[in-house]
Amino acid sequence: MNHHAAQSRAAYLFLTPFLALFVVFLIYPLVQSLWLAFQQTHGPSITRYVGLDNFKSIAVDRLFWKAFWNTAVFALASVCIQLPIALGLAMLLNRPDVRGRAFFRLIFFSPALVGLVFVAVLFGLIFEKRTGLLNVTLHAVAGFDPEFPWLQQYVMPALIIAALWLYAGFNMVFFLAALQNVSRDLLEAATVDGAGPLRRFLHVTLPAIRPVGSFLVLLSLIGSFQLFELPYILLGGGGPDNQGLTVVMYLYQAGFDAGDLGYASAIGWTIAILLGGFAVAQRYVSALDER
Amino acid sequence: MIRLRQYLRSGSPISPGVVVIAGLMLASAAWVAVRPVAQRDGLSFWVFARTHYQMYVPVADRWREAGGHRLDVALLSADALPRRLIASMHAGTHMADLVEIERSMASQVFSGPIDGIGLIDLTDRLHAEGLYDRFNEPSFAPWTVSGRVFGLPHDVHPVLLCYRADLVEEAGIDITSLTTWASFKEAMRAMVVDLDGDGRPDRYPLSLSETHLDQIEALLLQAGGGLFDIDGVPTLASDVNAATLAEITTWLTGPGRIAGDAPEFSASGNRLRLEGYVVCSLMSDWLTSVWESDLPQLEGKLRLMPLPAWEPGGRRTSVWGGTMIGIPKTTPDPEQAWAVAKELYLSEPLARELYERAGIISPVRALWDRGWYAAPRAYFGGQRTGRLYLEQAPDVPRRVSSPFDTIAKAGLQDVVIQLKRHAEETGVYDAAALQPVAKQLLEAAEARVRWHMNRNVFVRERSP
Repeated sequence: MNHHAAQSRAAYLFLTPFLALFVVFLIYPLVQSLWLAFQQTHGPSITRYVGLDNFKSIAVDRLFWKAFWNTAVFALASVCIQLPIALGLAMLLNRPDVRGRAFFRLIFFSPALVGLVFVAVLFGLIFEKRTGLLNVTLHAVAGFDPEFPWLQQYVMPALIIAALWLYAGFNMVFFLAALQNVSRDLLEAATVDGAGPLRRFLHVTLPAIRPVGSFLVLLSLIGSFQLFELPYILLGGGGPDNQGLTVVMYLYQAGFDAGDLGYASAIGWTIAILLGGFAVAQRYVSALDER
Repeated sequence: MIRLRQYLRSGSPISPGVVVIAGLMLASAAWVAVRPVAQRDGLSFWVFARTHYQMYVPVADRWREAGGHRLDVALLSADALPRRLIASMHAGTHMADLVEIERSMASQVFSGPIDGIGLIDLTDRLHAEGLYDRFNEPSFAPWTVSGRVFGLPHDVHPVLLCYRADLVEEAGIDITSLTTWASFKEAMRAMVVDLDGDGRPDRYPLSLSETHLDQIEALLLQAGGGLFDIDGVPTLASDVNAATLAEITTWLTGPGRIAGDAPEFSASGNRLRLEGYVVCSLMSDWLTSVWESDLPQLEGKLRLMPLPAWEPGGRRTSVWGGTMIGIPKTTPDPEQAWAVAKELYLSEPLARELYERAGIISPVRALWDRGWYAAPRAYFGGQRTGRLYLEQAPDVPRRVSSPFDTIAKAGLQDVVIQLKRHAEETGVYDAAALQPVAKQLLEAAEARVRWHMNRNVFVRERSP
């Protein structure tokens, strides 16, 4: 056996542990879940092949589309509300004339240290009718209705506010890092050329932090479509009228509450296909934009 | 061929440290594989209620000392028990020999094909040993699927109306004379009061909200409605459900509102109860001990009375909650498990302890005349609460456990919320005018339940 063949064999030998884990823990479950998507199950042991029935059911499943819509709204709010606020905070705390910058950075980032479960419990107490901090304060200050039902009628705004409190500071840190890498020479040159703050922001700062911004948009979208703990604890499930039901929560309910792993797998694959389609469309639009 | 030894010598990634770690891993795996499995000592029993656990442990200790059954009781959280149970039934992970199952878990346990239910069918044993007739018959209903019984009932759980006697007396209302919900609503409207002068009521006669689904279901059952009939056919869109929900909506909103939201099992709800935000609450027997423990400040201020009926002379109670003991099919000794289940659920001393600790009355009818049910209870101003609940026990409505219970309840929840929203948006607060809307919403909800039933091949296979 020549030296080249021996080296090839050695390379495969080194790759084997990774490949074994990759196949056992990723490829096999993926293939299994695809197979499951064509079956109706009662737990993993009792199954019936149903062809495309699960996917046909999803197409007309009102609750799935409601969950998808809720998740999409949350994702949109994450990108359109959370990220601009995070950028605003970052720009404010990047100014050298702001005193106690380090302290405020820590304060704004600190919610990220406690996690979603804590935030959900905390906001559950804040949004309570009559006894919640928010309603009690608003009632005392402005005569606001103490029975205002945040968690019954305004479920999505409540979720968005809770997530905003948690993630605005977290995303702020990324923007801060990006802002500190914006070329001072370029900013000064723009100032000398007569550019005001808005034009400096639009034509110097924003292009410089664009890669980080794109990364955060992607991170927010992925995080939004994985949303589970926050509504699960804050609302004890999908909430009244399923206003807080997310796709992952619906998948969990189908698979682990109802025991139909087949339907849950079909939901998982449907979400993957839809998100894949969005990702391709987004890349296409970005490519057009760059051209 | 390149040998392993050469790799080790040539500073390759497979260092001696990696070899040692791999060796330890293999050795420990081999040790685990060949280690003898510990022999189980008697039966294991999972419970979710601390009170039950505290009752069963001394019994298990007494049996052990006397050389009788060997029972290992484990307390699992109410969230963990169904997860473990379902994982055990679906994936064959470790399961106890006996389990107590709460009614909210039933839809998960009873889903799938009937022979896929992970509990032993007790129907033939119950009839052969004459046990079926010894229990309050409706108590079997939640644990019965397609005519087969999968558990021994633990309770009856009638519902009474609990009221703040101090507040009612202060208002000069003779609440015990209010025998229908219509008279209750009319007379108790006087208790909707603004205490702090901000123009908003701070007290409501009844604790109820559109999200209190258990109480709303109890009210539907009292009225003769419900989610499924005895054959498991959805009855969500029945006329009685529509009429009842339309009436309840007028309690929740509008000028005739009589209900305030003081949720059970929460600090905020307890605070509101202490402040007198709500005057009356629906109270199942098990809830009496929860209040006694969580709200000791209300001792002597509370009284119980039968629920007002939906119609003159109608049913004065309902049902809320329920537990059973079941024997998983995986138990190696079903006969011993059955013997233990019977001893626990038929025992008179345990029934007495259950009442004295938890306020729960036994479903064993032969025990209903026992004197300890007539003991006065200071928390309820010396009322003989056991007797009050027992008087209503024969009238407790029958409810059915369906694999689609959760879906039907979610549908009911949607209807209640949408109906209330409709009333507020249109300004229609008349029950008669709301009834057609309720019917329409219920029909849509029932259609969704039927859609789920139709796509379930296992349930289709159950039907003859």
